[in-house]
Amino acid sequence: MATKALETSVRRAGVVSVISLEGEIDGFAEEALNHAYTAAAAPDVTAVLLKFDRVDYINSTGIALIVGLLAQARKSGRRLLTSGLSQHYREIFQITRLSDFMQIYPDEATALAQNA
Amino acid sequence: MSDNPAPRDAGNWARPVDKLDLSGVQAGGMRLNVAGRHLTGPIRGFGQMWQKTYWVRLSGAPATPQEVITVWKAEFPSFWPKGNRFYGPLTGIRPGEVAVLNLAGPGGVTAPGETPVIATGIMVIYADDVSFSFMTPEGHILAGLITFSAFAEDGATVAQVQALIRTMDPLYELSFRLGVGHRTEDDFWQATLRNLAARFNVAGQAQMRSALVDPRLQWSEAKNVWHNAAIRTAFVLPGEILKRLLGRS
Repeated sequence: MATKALETSVRRAGVVSVISLEGEIDGFAEEALNHAYTAAAAPDVTAVLLKFDRVDYINSTGIALIVGLLAQARKSGRRLLTSGLSQHYREIFQITRLSDFMQIYPDEATALAQNA
Repeated sequence: MSDNPAPRDAGNWARPVDKLDLSGVQAGGMRLNVAGRHLTGPIRGFGQMWQKTYWVRLSGAPATPQEVITVWKAEFPSFWPKGNRFYGPLTGIRPGEVAVLNLAGPGGVTAPGETPVIATGIMVIYADDVSFSFMTPEGHILAGLITFSAFAEDGATVAQVQALIRTMDPLYELSFRLGVGHRTEDDFWQATLRNLAARFNVAGQAQMRSALVDPRLQWSEAKNVWHNAAIRTAFVLPGEILKRLLGRS
């Protein structure tokens, strides 16, 4: 089966940095994910929004990477937000307890409206 | 995509559960500290967050990563170091299945009759043909996500254990700060990998690296000590030792 390496893009929306994710989040995504987070975590950013609309595969190594991002964010006092998670991925965030600490929004507009 | 009803990984993940149950676990062992417990994972632990990676190269073995994982899943308990027991799911290592663990203490110490001293468990939260992952319930030593995988690298198959962990409560954290917990954990997985390599007729040298992901303690999780599996196991240990010495277990 063809796989699609993770691609990311980062932009600012006020005090929130938005990271758009496209492709697969697995062990090969580590560099792209960490690079995007570093670019997103400017000193005046209070929250980082991960957009999952175009993510179509996450394995357990990918979840571990997201846990690592969450740890980085909490260490620096930032909130880590998500949008665009399908019901399937919401369940994965629930079972891995990520949803205990990451606010889940249906879409980017709602996330920004409540965190800008 | 959010509008895709069946992502490719859909069959690889466990469904969310409120509490663990033991109905699908093979008989035997001290079945404590699992039934009725919630899953935790590295988010909910108390101690510092570590990422520990252990690996062994199966140099010269013809096994593919898929073949290694098939064997690892099927014979998982046989690779554990002496004194530790894994009572697995009746249906094998599959997403959503639960297993009972009876573990030796630090340094592989067991009670008389080779009785393990900590009873706890795991849930399989993910499995595919080249990896599988466990999460731990309340009371376990570690609040963790542990992934077992195999991959090809430089002409050989590499078997790997990657643990993203925090200690569950302040007592376990103390044992890790004293070095005992870290050493026990490191020895455990390196011995497991050597045993796995031996299964493929390889005298493998297990290696490891560790990284401190988050040095902070999560004091809000200090209350986890209420479920501490080591303490709770200690209450039933005398009876369990007697059963073993009398040959009833």
